[in-house]
Amino acid sequence: MRKFNTGLLAISLLASMAASAEAQETLRFGAPVARTGPLADAGIKSKQGYDMCVTAVNQKGGVDVGGKKMKLELVEYDYQSETNRAVQIVQRLINVDKVPFLLAPYGSGDTKATAGVAERYGVPMVAAAAATPSVFDQKFKNLFGILFPNAMITDAEVAYYKKTMPDVKRVSVLALNSLFPKAIAAELVTSAKREGFEILSDSLYSPDTTDFSNILTQIKSQKPDWIYATGYTQDLILIRRQMADLGVEAKLVTMTAGPSYPEFAENVKGLAESVTTNSWWHQNADYQDAFIFGSSQKYNEAFNATFKRNATYLEAAATAACQTLVMAIEEAKTTKADAVRDVLRTKTFNTFYGPIRFSDVGQNDFNAALVMQIQDGKLLVLAPDALKQADLRPGVPPKK
Amino acid sequence: MVGQYIVNGIMMGGLYACLAVGFSLVWGVLNVINMLHGSMVILGAYACLFGVQRLGLPIYVVAPLACGALFVFGYAVQRGLINRVVSQPILITLTLTFGLELIVNNLILHYFTATPRSLGINLGTVELLGMRIPVARIVGMLIAAMLTLLLYWLLRHSKVGRAIVAVRMDRHAAALMGIRIPQIYALTFGIGAFMAGAAGVAMALIYPVTPMMSGVFLGKAFVICVLGGLGSVPGAIIGGLVLGIVEGMGTLALGPQWATSVGFLLMMAVIILLPSGLAGKKGYE
Repeated sequence: MRKFNTGLLAISLLASMAASAEAQETLRFGAPVARTGPLADAGIKSKQGYDMCVTAVNQKGGVDVGGKKMKLELVEYDYQSETNRAVQIVQRLINVDKVPFLLAPYGSGDTKATAGVAERYGVPMVAAAAATPSVFDQKFKNLFGILFPNAMITDAEVAYYKKTMPDVKRVSVLALNSLFPKAIAAELVTSAKREGFEILSDSLYSPDTTDFSNILTQIKSQKPDWIYATGYTQDLILIRRQMADLGVEAKLVTMTAGPSYPEFAENVKGLAESVTTNSWWHQNADYQDAFIFGSSQKYNEAFNATFKRNATYLEAAATAACQTLVMAIEEAKTTKADAVRDVLRTKTFNTFYGPIRFSDVGQNDFNAALVMQIQDGKLLVLAPDALKQADLRPGVPPKK
Repeated sequence: MVGQYIVNGIMMGGLYACLAVGFSLVWGVLNVINMLHGSMVILGAYACLFGVQRLGLPIYVVAPLACGALFVFGYAVQRGLINRVVSQPILITLTLTFGLELIVNNLILHYFTATPRSLGINLGTVELLGMRIPVARIVGMLIAAMLTLLLYWLLRHSKVGRAIVAVRMDRHAAALMGIRIPQIYALTFGIGAFMAGAAGVAMALIYPVTPMMSGVFLGKAFVICVLGGLGSVPGAIIGGLVLGIVEGMGTLALGPQWATSVGFLLMMAVIILLPSGLAGKKGYE
């Protein structure tokens, strides 16, 4: 009996040592992912971006922490697009799964809600899809955002259209009543007013809206030169269709960020023609990346090989969020939060996504805003000049 | 311009009526708040998309097949599951259909993903007295009107319909008259699912469909049902049209972010002032 007990003890010790060795060799990032609910489409895209990072890092041999290679693992749970659930999941990831680092949920609103939890526990969190400055104005020490502020996008758009279409003066704005669309619409209004544009209307719609015909009829009566709409992709698809149904036309129609995703053009088909948009990233921006992917183009090729379509800024930002954390850990040579946080605060990370440099509030302040337009079914870069693929085609629908 | 606003409201109202009639019938006859209704609409839309895009069938072939499949699904769900608890308090059937809704919606999400999908059939618009009316919406509204009138006729003039009405009025008396209650329940739920499928086909013509729209559709059906009166087919038409026009006017007066709230405010007012709904009969509140 004594021998049996000693044997059992030895087995238990060996098992716990093996478990501990296993734990030491795996580095886990925690992520609430919107797999279901209204944000599921964007949430699943973010997950694809994370997977790109995890696979590439592990193919490289894992995360090099002071000479020791650790396998990277993503611990993720579906938060069903519900903010409260995202907060609960972040608490679980920290307290039950004991993850040392976090990737934020999709969108400015959910990032802002969960960042408070990460801050309370001192766990660094990198956000891939939060561009609204009010997410970062709490000056949390543990929150870092990959997307540069909305204003950089709207300033670039307004400056470009003012230069290329000087006859465009009157703007109607329509935005979803949610943190990001509302914020970027407000920035657009600010940028446009500063540059001398006249704002004819600045309307919000609720997330349950099933019909835009009356607000579009109202916009039509205002005869705007420029219509700016922002919201979920399915809303923008419906808005573009109802614009055609009601004969709403303008010299310029901009939608954020639906046309950046291929499903916008797939759903509206020819009506996508000449719709302009903006983006934080595009594969044609040939940023070099010595760490894993090589360059923006090569990242897109790898993404295409895996998911059979081109990457958008959303998947790219998710990959970059994960990659930046890995680079910071390797630079810090430890997984201790304080050291990694210091590296994140001070270093500029050169990635396929472009240079990432966190400001004193934690948001990337490297401006690489892109103005884009769908032409002949393809999404092409109009500005900046260094990446330009086409000149602006005015008129929606295009005049034949 | 005012004419255009009214036409917009009527077009939307027609679709709303189609959305709500099946929900209203099930609630009125079975006393079941069918939380699965929104997902059945989505299922109808995806069945239509699948038939047209994957199988390459014309929409006029796919539409009745999709509705028929939904009828079979609804009949089976009621016969196999809901009938077992239908005499329990309303909270039990509500919880059961809510659970089924979660399962069905997540299965749709798993197989079709959350990416918006459209039929991609552009039927154009017609211009009448300076007003523009999208043909897809006219077709959607005509489908809604035809099926709703057919259902109205069925309930009034067919043997099955009269049995459904009898069960709705007093199921104990109906049972004493020899009506097989479980079968009538299953038929009613099947008809409700058929109407949801028809609404799904109409929605697929107009909307980019995603599984997440089920909650929105269910919410609209709920409001319309309360506005029009439970179990009343003409009530669903009246409720749908009223909601379509009121939401449209709410958009104009207060801005689009208040349109949904205006609909719910109206519902609250009707509950307080007219508990039977605008076209309901007293006793069926």
